Amino acid sequence: MAVTKIQSKMICPRCKVEMNHHSDKLVYGSGPQEAGPDDPPLDGTIAEFHACPKCGYGASRCA
Amino acid sequence: MEATRPLFIPVILGTARMGRMSLHAARLLTSEVSKRAGVETELIDIARLPLPTDDAGPAIKDPGFSARMDRADALIIVSPEYNHGYSGLLKHVLDSCLQEYIHKAVGIAGVSAGPFGGVRVVQNVLPVMRELGLVTIFWDVNFSTVQKVFDEKGTLLDQAFLPRIDKFLKELIWMAKTLRQGREQISID
Repeated sequence: MAVTKIQSKMICPRCKVEMNHHSDKLVYGSGPQEAGPDDPPLDGTIAEFHACPKCGYGASRCA
Repeated sequence: MEATRPLFIPVILGTARMGRMSLHAARLLTSEVSKRAGVETELIDIARLPLPTDDAGPAIKDPGFSARMDRADALIIVSPEYNHGYSGLLKHVLDSCLQEYIHKAVGIAGVSAGPFGGVRVVQNVLPVMRELGLVTIFWDVNFSTVQKVFDEKGTLLDQAFLPRIDKFLKELIWMAKTLRQGREQISID
């Protein structure tokens, strides 16, 4: 059975409102210490990018 | 969304070379952006950023540059050609950030002493913009034979550049507004 990873909404540290998840991006590691387990053939990790609908503040986290 | 929040579109001067004529082009673009209602701007000179050269990438992120990239809705990059490419220092600076750029617009201005106006550096920088998460527009500004476009004090001698810059900025501002709406209101989920 497939397991779906559900993450909570990110909260803007300035406005305390829920941020909008607008992008997922493959981010390449710069060395062995940052090797990406998410998609080994692509050699990177997938990061989520979020923006605050009120002030525009941007934040990211590992997907 | 705060409807009154102005757009922020900084201009990045992508060369530290002595005697750079690109400075005049960057100042002209900054001046033209500053005339747009609802848009704020600032000239960022990469020669003045305190980035170390004994490491690279996010590890050397400058808080001031990062904050400006985070605030930005779009970027304008002004670059001369260095052997058909862009300067290593510009790449070093751009690589110090990533999340700050995602889903933001970018327009490129090429500068050259010859007749091609930096078209080769523009082509070379495009794939880097894409990987950084920036969205390129289809208008460029090409300052060819730049020594004839500006005098030594930076005064614009060729007024034909003003309507070209107008087209470039209209497209960039449209893209900046559209992408802000998308970043802040449209979920990927």
